Amino acid sequence: MTALAVRGSRRQSAIRLRRVVERSLGLALLALAVIWLVWNLVADPTRFTGSVLIGLQNGLLYALVALGYTMVYGVIELINFAHGDLFMLATIVAAAIMVSVLSVKLVGAGAILPLLVALVGCMAFGAAVNVSAEFFAYRRLRSAPRLAPLMTAVGLSFVFRGIAQQDYVNGSAQKNWPIEWGGPIVEGVYLYKLLLVGAVTVPLLLGMTYIVTRMKMGKAMRAVAQDQDAARLVGINVNGTISFTFALGGALAGAAGVLYFLVQAQTYYDTGTQFGLIAFTAAVLGGIGNLTGAVVGGLAIGLIQSINEGGTHGLGSNWSQSVVFLILIVLMVLRPEGIFGRASTEKV
Amino acid sequence: MPATSGFRAWLADHKWPLGYVAIIVCLFLLYQAILPNLIDEVSTPVTAWLPVATINECLMWAIMALGLNVVVGYAGLLDLGYVAFWALGGYTAGWLMAAPFNWTWDFQLFAPVAESYPGTHITFWLVILIAGCLCALLGVAIGAPTLRLRGDYLALVTLGFGEVITQFFRNSNDIDGYNVANGDAGIPIIDPIGLGPFGLIAGVPESLTNSGSDNIYKILVLGALLGLCLFVSLRIRGGRLGRAWLAIREDQLAATTMGVPLVRSKLLAYAVGAFFGGIGGVANAAGITGAVSPSGFDFGKSVLVLLMVVLGGMGNVWGVTIGAFLLAWLNSNGLRQIGVTIGAASGKNLEAALPRYNFLILGLLLVFMMLFRREGLLPEKRTKALLTTPSRIEMESVGAHIAEAEAKNRAIAESNPNVDAEIAGSAGAVSPDLEPPAAAESTNALKDPDQ
Amino acid sequence: MSQPVTDASRAGVHEASENVLYADHITIRFGGLVAVSDVSFGIPPKSIVSLIGPNGAGKTTFFNVLTGLYQASVGTVYLGGRDLTGLKPDRRAALGMARTFQNIRLFNLMTVEENIMVAMHAHLRSGVFSTVLRLPRQRREERAAADAARELLHYVGIEKRQGELARNLSYGDQRRLEVARALALRPKVLLLDEPTAGMNPRESAEFKEFVHRVRDEKRLSALLIEHDMSVIMTISERITVMDHGHVIAEGAPEEIRNNQTVIEAYLGKAGRGARRTSQS
Repeated sequence: MTALAVRGSRRQSAIRLRRVVERSLGLALLALAVIWLVWNLVADPTRFTGSVLIGLQNGLLYALVALGYTMVYGVIELINFAHGDLFMLATIVAAAIMVSVLSVKLVGAGAILPLLVALVGCMAFGAAVNVSAEFFAYRRLRSAPRLAPLMTAVGLSFVFRGIAQQDYVNGSAQKNWPIEWGGPIVEGVYLYKLLLVGAVTVPLLLGMTYIVTRMKMGKAMRAVAQDQDAARLVGINVNGTISFTFALGGALAGAAGVLYFLVQAQTYYDTGTQFGLIAFTAAVLGGIGNLTGAVVGGLAIGLIQSINEGGTHGLGSNWSQSVVFLILIVLMVLRPEGIFGRASTEKV
Repeated sequence: MPATSGFRAWLADHKWPLGYVAIIVCLFLLYQAILPNLIDEVSTPVTAWLPVATINECLMWAIMALGLNVVVGYAGLLDLGYVAFWALGGYTAGWLMAAPFNWTWDFQLFAPVAESYPGTHITFWLVILIAGCLCALLGVAIGAPTLRLRGDYLALVTLGFGEVITQFFRNSNDIDGYNVANGDAGIPIIDPIGLGPFGLIAGVPESLTNSGSDNIYKILVLGALLGLCLFVSLRIRGGRLGRAWLAIREDQLAATTMGVPLVRSKLLAYAVGAFFGGIGGVANAAGITGAVSPSGFDFGKSVLVLLMVVLGGMGNVWGVTIGAFLLAWLNSNGLRQIGVTIGAASGKNLEAALPRYNFLILGLLLVFMMLFRREGLLPEKRTKALLTTPSRIEMESVGAHIAEAEAKNRAIAESNPNVDAEIAGSAGAVSPDLEPPAAAESTNALKDPDQ
Repeated sequence: MSQPVTDASRAGVHEASENVLYADHITIRFGGLVAVSDVSFGIPPKSIVSLIGPNGAGKTTFFNVLTGLYQASVGTVYLGGRDLTGLKPDRRAALGMARTFQNIRLFNLMTVEENIMVAMHAHLRSGVFSTVLRLPRQRREERAAADAARELLHYVGIEKRQGELARNLSYGDQRRLEVARALALRPKVLLLDEPTAGMNPRESAEFKEFVHRVRDEKRLSALLIEHDMSVIMTISERITVMDHGHVIAEGAPEEIRNNQTVIEAYLGKAGRGARRTSQS
C-alpha cells in the first residue's frame, strides 16, 4: 500500500507541477510584456508617449468592435465571423454620408452635425444588417451543429466583401478620402482625433454597461446567455433578446466604422478581415463573453500594436499582425478563458 | 470476398476509380487528338468554355480540396488557413526549382533546364515529395497548439496561422537581414515540370518541358497527381486511421473512451491534409502560374477550398472532386463565359463585369448551402445526418434537450425508406408481440446457448 | 472523515494489487462544489459489483474519473495494480478499462461493424504507410479485426444487423452494440452506466444472464451503475451505496437491503418493494 501510495502521490505532484508551470509561464510572458513596455518608454519617452496616444485611439476602436463580438458570443455562443466586414461596410457608408452627401472636408466645429448624422445613420445601418443576418441566416441554424452557423458567417463575410468590391460601392483598391484635421499634433498624433474617438466611444461603452447591468433587457441577455431553455421558461422572449443583442453589436460596429473612417480617411474592402481578427483577439484576451474584458483587451492590443509599430524597440508595422496573432495562439494554449473569464468544464 | 466472376467483381468494386482514369485519358485525347481535327464551329465553343488552362487549374484545385477534405471532411477539424500549405508548397518550388534570386547553390537533378543555368534545379517529381514532407511538418506545427480547441476557436486560430504565414512571406526579403524568399516580389521563373527521372524511360514524349499552363500533357500529369491523392485518401479511409477520424468527427468523447488516440489521430489528419496541399502548391507554382508571390495567397483562397469541400459533400472524395471542378471552373473561366453569353444575348457586355462578382456569388453560395443543403451535392450518407443532428456535447452544454429530441426526430424522419423497412422489421426487439414467429427462434446470445 | 461501512465491506476494499480496479481516496471538486468526497473503492477480479445511489450522488462523475475524462482533485486510480494518474482516456481504454454510457453514445453514422472496429484501434498496429500500400500484414490485421467484430456481434446477438448504420438499430440492439463495442477493447473491467435503462423485464432478465456469461467467459469484472433494484439485488456480489458524494454503505445485497441508512437515503418505498420481490 505504501509503495503504491508513494508512486501515486508522485504522479499527482507531477500533474500539479505541470499546472504550476503553465500558470507561471503565463505570468512570465506578462512580465516580459511589461518589461518590453518599460524598455521602450525608457529608450525614447516622447516617442513612447506618441505611441501610447495612438494605441489608446486604436484600442478604443478595437474595444468597440470587440464588444460586438463578445456580446453575440455571450448570448448564442457564435463567433460572428462577418462582424469585422460589417464594420468595413460601415466605414463605406460613413464615407458616403459625410463626404458624398454632406460634403465634409475639414473636421471642425462645422462637422459636428454631419458627424452626428453619420453616427446615427451608420449605427442604424449596422444594427439593421446584423439583425437581418440573424433573422434570415443564423436563426434557422440555431439547433444545427456549430459548424453550420460558423460557415454561414464566413459566407456572409464574403458577401460583404463582394459588395464592397464593386466599383459603385468602393472598388477593389484602397480609396483615400480628402478629410483634413486641424488641431495640435503631438509626436505625429492628431489630438483632436483622439478626442473625438474618446468622446464617442466612452459614452457608448458606458451606455452598454448600463443597458446590460441595469435595464431589464440586459438581464434578459444575461439569462439567455446562461441557459436558453430556462430563460424561455421564465417568460423571456428569447428570439427578441437575441435580435436585440445583434442590434447592439451591429450598432457598435457602425459607430466604430464612422470613427475609423474619420481617423484614417480611407476605405478598403479588406479592412474588415484584418481588423476583425485583431478585435477578436482582443475579445478573447479579455475573456470572451465578458464586456469589461473586451474593453481591457481592446486597449491592451491597441497599445501593444502601436508600440510595436512606433516604439524604438518594436518589430515594425510589417510584423504587427503576426505579433497580435502570436498573442492569440499563446492565449488559446495557456489560458483560453482570457483575463476575466472563468475556465469552463464540460458536463458529460 | 464472394464474387460472381473474379474480373467482373473487381470491375464493380472499382467502378469509380476506373471511371476517373477513363475521364482523364479521354480529356487528354480530346484536346490532343480530337479537337484540332474538328471544324471550327464545334472546337471553338469547346475551347472557349473549357480551355486546357482551366482544366489544369481545376485539377490543381481538386488536389487542394482533397487535402482539406482530409482535415475537415474526415476528421471534422475546421481549418480556415489551408492557404498556408499552398504558400509553403509554392515557395518550396521557388527555392528548389527556380531562377536564383538570392543564393546560388548550383545543383541540378534531372531538371529540364540547360546545364549552364545557375541555381538549384531539382526535378519537379522530387520537389513535390519534399514539399509534401515540409508541409506535413508545418501541418503538425499548426495542429499541435490547437488540439484542445473547440470548433469556432479552431477555425479562427487556423485562419490566423494562414494570415501570419502569408505575412511572413511578404516580409521575407528582410528577415534579420537575410533575403529568405524575396518578399513582395516573389520568385519568378519557376522551372517547368519536365520529365525528370521518367525521361530515362524510352519512348516518353518530351512535351512536358514546355511552359505555359495550357500544355495539354499537363492534364495527364495533374490528373495522375490527383489520382494519387484520391487513392491515398480512399485507402486511409478504409483502414483504422480513417475509422478513427470518422469517430472523432462524430463524437470525440466517445472516441477517446474507446481507445482512439486523439492527439495522434488529429495530428496525422493535419499532416496528411498538408501533404496534399504541398503537392498542390508545387503543381500550382510549376505548372500553372510559373512563379510564386505572396499576393497569390489570401484568405479568399482558403474559403474557396472550404466551399469546394462543403459543396461536394464533406468526406466524399468524389463529390469533393466534382465540387472542386465546378467551383474552380466558375472562378477561373465560367463566370467570364457566362458573362459573354449573356452579353451576346442581351447586348450588355458582362464579360469583364461578371467575374468581379465572384466573391459575392461564392459567399451567397456558401450561405445558401448552409441554410438549405448542408450535406453538399454528393454527400457521404453520414454527412447529411452529421450536419443536421447536433453533437451530444454541444447540446448538453447549451442545455437544450428539447432541441436535441426534435433534431433526432427530424433526422430519423428524413432517413432512407429502405432503412425504415428494416426498422419495422426490428420492432420485434421492442415487444415480443410484434415479432414475426420465425424470428423468435433466431440465435440470441443473451439466452443461455445450452438450452 | 470515515465512512459508515459494514464489516463485510472491509473484505471488499483490498490493496490495489489485489483488485483489478482500485480507487484510492478519490475526491472530485468542481470549483466550490464537492461532487465526490474521499471515496475508496475496489473491484476484485472476476466479480460483479454495483454502485447505486440517488440521482446526483456522484456516481457518473466517479465513473468519469475512473475512465480519465475528469481528473480527481485528490486520490489515485489503479488498474491491475498500475497507477493511472495522468493517463488520457484512450490510454486507459488500451490498458483494459471499457465503458458504456448512460445516454447511448454510439457512432451513429458508422455501421455496426465499424463501431466495433473503432474500439479495436488500440489493438491494431498498422501505420499510415502499411494502410496505403495494403501490405499483407495490414490486410491480415483488418481481416482478423473484421472477423473478431463479427464474432462479438454474434456474441451479443445482433449479427443480422451487421451492415446497418448504428442509428437505425432498435434501442435494445443499440445497447447490445454498445456492450459489444466495449468488449472489443478486451477489457479487464467493464463499466456499465445504467445498462438496463429503458429495458422491459424480459430484456433485463436476459441482460442479467448476459453479464454473468461475460464475466465467466471473458474473464473480466463488471461495475454497474443501476437504478433497477431487481437487477442489482440478483446480479451483484457486492453493492456500494453513494449519497451526496460519500459512500454510505457497502456490502452484500442482503446487508444493503436491510441497512437503515441506505433505506432512508435512497430506497424508501422501493426498498420495501425490493424486499417483496426477493420474497416472491
